[in-house]
Amino acid sequence: MLEPVKGGLWYAYVLGSLILVAALLAVLSLLPRRAKRYIVMTVTLLGGLFYALEFFLPTHPMMVGDDPNADGNFLTPFIVPMANVLPAISACAVGLGVINLFQLHGKRALKRNADSINSIAFFVSCIGMAAVWIASKQPQASPLSKALGKILFEGALQNLDATMFSIIAFYITSAAYRAFRVRSMEATLLLATAIIVMLGQITIGQLLTAWIPPRYDFLHVEVIRNWILTKINAPATRAIAIGLGIGSLAVGLRIWLGLERGSYFDE
Amino acid sequence: MEHATTGARILIPLWSVIIVAVILFARKKDLFIRRIQGLSAIDEAVGRATETGRPMICTTGLGIDGGVEIVTLQALSIVSYIIRTSARFATRAIVPVFDPQMLAITEEAVRESYAQEGRPEQYNSDDVRFLTNRQFAYAASVAGIIAREKAAATFLFGYYYAEALIMAENGHQVGAIQIAGTPATTQIPFFIAACDYVIIGDEYYAASAYLSREPTQLGSIVGQDIVKGFILILALVGSAIVSVSAFAGSATGTLFTQFFTK
Repeated sequence: MLEPVKGGLWYAYVLGSLILVAALLAVLSLLPRRAKRYIVMTVTLLGGLFYALEFFLPTHPMMVGDDPNADGNFLTPFIVPMANVLPAISACAVGLGVINLFQLHGKRALKRNADSINSIAFFVSCIGMAAVWIASKQPQASPLSKALGKILFEGALQNLDATMFSIIAFYITSAAYRAFRVRSMEATLLLATAIIVMLGQITIGQLLTAWIPPRYDFLHVEVIRNWILTKINAPATRAIAIGLGIGSLAVGLRIWLGLERGSYFDE
Repeated sequence: MEHATTGARILIPLWSVIIVAVILFARKKDLFIRRIQGLSAIDEAVGRATETGRPMICTTGLGIDGGVEIVTLQALSIVSYIIRTSARFATRAIVPVFDPQMLAITEEAVRESYAQEGRPEQYNSDDVRFLTNRQFAYAASVAGIIAREKAAATFLFGYYYAEALIMAENGHQVGAIQIAGTPATTQIPFFIAACDYVIIGDEYYAASAYLSREPTQLGSIVGQDIVKGFILILALVGSAIVSVSAFAGSATGTLFTQFFTK
């Protein structure tokens, strides 16, 4: 049942799934809100239980996927098929996202005000990119469509991403200027720490204290930098991470056991 | 596949029982949690947006692996509170969505927030918008919305990566009052540098309890604190055991460490 199928059976599976999902959605839409809530809670509980049991139950050496030396229990072989459900949901969600974008920008383009040009640009780039990319991935794709696909993806999109990423350097400078202004005891401490860490990171900074004899090497700027990072920074980060982990466990338990309140959970 | 170590098999269920027990206890008795400045400032930020007549931008982040995640749902829970507050003053809130899987959930949560305040007509479907699920394209889009709409307040909750500073600095440039909260420890310094208020660490997960004062969530926070106390004691005892056994040449420290790693 969990193995991929081919040929006529594939079409039967797809058609059957579509009919099943349509029937399921029709039944769900007729149900009262309280019943929907119980269905959501039951599915959440069962889904969570599967992953919790798979994680906590004792394991033994077994073949998992293509790995003959993996560890697992009787639930482990079902992890991959369960995970395969997610891309299907994701694909449907992308469709919804695109519909949302088309609705929003369609309205704006029709308004014909100053912002309409941005919405028209959206339609041109979205449809253009999709058309070129689909054409370039065909088995009989022409060299022109392949070249266009490469220009749009590698030449335009990736470089635009890189441009946005590189802008961060300027934002870091302006944010650091504000953060390091000496206005209080904390800001002064932050500034002093930042100077030590930055100097310890670069060769010229390390040269400043290179003359200090080895017996006093704890005064070398790179040693102080390491001490700050490993003895102050790392424990603080780990403490935050522990708090976050426990917080995440608590929220997960509330959702899993149906104790949560708010959207989808109240009657 | 990763599986539980001996320590995890014992401790995680134990902690879960503690948290659930305190949640059930909190339903019968009032519990107290301390003031969180960043969350108290939400009303101030909404007030600023109302006074200036400019919109607010509320984002729920990129998520850790994408899709529907606890981190993003928590951010949505905070955003729902912000929208309920803003609905009372008819202040516009724009919610840009990164992950298409979160779009329907976000639309529903925002619509319900307006309905809860008795203002369902204020819900504008154009204000909950899916932008893109590419990191820097999303950052550019949010920065563009902040600049074009001259946002009076920005609320940056959820999981962020390098794009955090792009959004926060753009908010700062338009003079928006900014409140951020993220479990991403690498982005906390950037938010601290660029935002007015930052919610750090497990305050992020305490936010919805603090804002709603709902007994279940308050109980969850107190349960978390008890578990953290337990972990603190475990860390101190563990440090002592490992140090003393290393000094004495005993194997007890190794056995103690293996309890958590194997």
